[in-house]
Amino acid sequence: MTSTRRDLFKLAGGAAVGALFTPAPWRLVTDTALWSETWPGVPRPARGEIRAKYTNCSLCPAGCAVRARCVGEQPVALMGVLEHPFTHGALCPFGLAGHHLPYHPARIAQGPVKQAAAAIASALARCAANERIAVLDLRPGRTASWTYRRALAQWKNGTYLTPPRTLGGNLAVNLAAAKTVLSFGTPLLDGWGTPGNVIAAREGFRLIQAETVESRTAVMADQWLPIRPGSEPALARAIANVLGNQPLHDAALETGLTEAQIVAAARELADNGPALVLDARERPEILALNQLVGSLGHTIVMRREAPVPAEWKNAVAATELSAVPDGSVRVLLIDESAPGPYLPWSAVEKKLVAENPVVVAFAWSGEGYGRHAQFVLPTAVYPEMVDDIPAAVDSPAAMFRLSAALVPPPADVVNPAEFVAALAQISATNTLRERADAIHKSGRGTLFTYADAKSTALKDVKADGFWKALNEGGCWMDAVPERQEIPKLAFGPPAATLTADNLPLAVVMAEAPAGLGSPILSKMYQESNLRLAEDRVVLHPTVARECGVEDGGRAILEAGCGRLDVLVCEDPGSPQGVVQVAAGPRTLDLCGSSPRAKVVRA
Amino acid sequence: MRGIFPFAAGAAIMLVAGWAGFPRAIYKSRPQPVDFSHKVHADKAGQKCEDCHAFRPDGTFAGIPTLDKCAGCHAAVMGATVAEKNFVEQYVTPAREPQWAVYARQPENVFFSHIAHVKRAQLTCDTCHGDHGASDHLLPYQEDRVSGYSRNIWQTADRVKTTRAAMTMSACVECHRQQGLEHSCLDCHK
Repeated sequence: MTSTRRDLFKLAGGAAVGALFTPAPWRLVTDTALWSETWPGVPRPARGEIRAKYTNCSLCPAGCAVRARCVGEQPVALMGVLEHPFTHGALCPFGLAGHHLPYHPARIAQGPVKQAAAAIASALARCAANERIAVLDLRPGRTASWTYRRALAQWKNGTYLTPPRTLGGNLAVNLAAAKTVLSFGTPLLDGWGTPGNVIAAREGFRLIQAETVESRTAVMADQWLPIRPGSEPALARAIANVLGNQPLHDAALETGLTEAQIVAAARELADNGPALVLDARERPEILALNQLVGSLGHTIVMRREAPVPAEWKNAVAATELSAVPDGSVRVLLIDESAPGPYLPWSAVEKKLVAENPVVVAFAWSGEGYGRHAQFVLPTAVYPEMVDDIPAAVDSPAAMFRLSAALVPPPADVVNPAEFVAALAQISATNTLRERADAIHKSGRGTLFTYADAKSTALKDVKADGFWKALNEGGCWMDAVPERQEIPKLAFGPPAATLTADNLPLAVVMAEAPAGLGSPILSKMYQESNLRLAEDRVVLHPTVARECGVEDGGRAILEAGCGRLDVLVCEDPGSPQGVVQVAAGPRTLDLCGSSPRAKVVRA
Repeated sequence: MRGIFPFAAGAAIMLVAGWAGFPRAIYKSRPQPVDFSHKVHADKAGQKCEDCHAFRPDGTFAGIPTLDKCAGCHAAVMGATVAEKNFVEQYVTPAREPQWAVYARQPENVFFSHIAHVKRAQLTCDTCHGDHGASDHLLPYQEDRVSGYSRNIWQTADRVKTTRAAMTMSACVECHRQQGLEHSCLDCHK
């Protein structure tokens, strides 16, 4: 009997059919799926002793106290420190999942450090007398900020740039003293200031939220004033007129509110003090209401800065970006390692010299200024980085706390302050310790340690013990001076309002900028529409129809500075004439300086 | 008739290989480092499960006891068995931790809380572990060559459970549904 090729195929066919009636293929499918859960490249939590470590979250200026549950050396869960006298154990969702950030897909771990240093040196060599080297520090007040200022003092044209701010530096908000708060779009109950402190103070004040959209803060406020987009200054003027017994003119028409609502809000500010007026964009004409209602010295107070070594005082002063002449910055170094307010690139770009400026971004991802810089140098990210966190806007007393590293950073990351110090040839290797010693030398305030939840007067702590406590989870809080100085608000000119006839929709930044969060958290938030993603816009169904777009469809958001591909979400709760977008680097670059846009079909 | 023979032969070969050969080939087997008898410890020493498999003060489950715990009683040989003599000579005296193969090792992407099941749901150990507490010898550790998990998760005599490829999510979900419990992904996957 001979076997043919046909017999061989039949045998193979029979074997294939027979295999289907055995557990082998099905079992291999399951086993392969199980194997794929732990195949090489999947992060694996270490197995080992379980213990608690303490640090402070540096993802935003709040600097909430954190208790990290660690297995071996690996943090596996983060939570707040309940006994903390200021953060009260609160931790926002971004903070709760902060330990995922070192594994973020957008993480940069390597960069052209030598090339950047060479380009900066070359640019400095050809820097003209009217050109400058500048550092843009998104979170001023840190020890690293002092290093930048000291380094920039070594160059005759060194400029230290900070985002514009009225509150949060030497002026702080004392929310606990407020009885009435009028907020112009400030996300007071959605991440503003220190969430734990805001929650603790919430029962003590009545909140009136003046905002175009019904934001989370508006939902939770005692009263929501749904004003027309862009009419915040008009409402502030109307309230000032009521307080000054002046006529309201056409304020009701401008704001979309009734005269009775405006008068009632003004009366409440005057009669139920101490009052506080906040504005999301800190427009001077709105914050000026604080002078009228007597907030200064009560709910807006002077705050001392945490002491620094005397020899550091030889440093350049902070300059706001708008004060720098256009076309004058030859070298711009942007520190994004500590997230802060994102300034639209159009505002930054016009300050650069026209030909061959050098822009270096220090960042852990390329999603922010890294999109515009020639060089992106990787930095450590929370919880890898060691940095100090200045007091948040709502802390009447200065603070000094460290974000101590819970995991080691990758080998090739750069410390931005040390990089800039090396350029200026000054020493910056032990600055945090030097500042801690300066604070200790002042003998002011108390030290709160997280592990034992104890407050100790600083004068009863030794310098080494203070440094050790700061590194193992502690917070220094300054003593509030007995005699409170009455602050002065420096009001600039009213913000210019840009109009464009061909851009019919008012842009409302519906989400506070939060930076990149844990990928799993962003996915859950954005897929469930709890938070807007940067590539989504929200329109009223009528507006969507007028724009020729539909729910779930692709569209293009056009503003003065460019275009962005977006997904459309229709929401009948969204006001007409408005497009809601998330405040991220891309949308701020697009709409930040021109709050009007249009949406067209892609 | 001749034409169907190769087809039938191929199917028959594969059926035999798939049912008889594959289940043997998919596992590699190795003995536990110590021939431990739960029965002796329960009967003669009067110990309960939680005496050795305890919860830590923070609620986490300590799992298999470390050598310190064993050495508390077995600093020297107490009985007459060869297994105990070997254990003391090879591990206790040189202070060498036995490298136990853990039958119930979980995937890295899942978190199982013993305390939630034992203290809160009031499950007894034998609900999942069967009569393992009364066994006289430890079963060899049979590791799936592809998935890397133990064949024997549950340590019970129940065929249905002992042939599971691993402690699968469907098994967790099935039991929770039977108990009328519905939870979110993040309860187990964190």
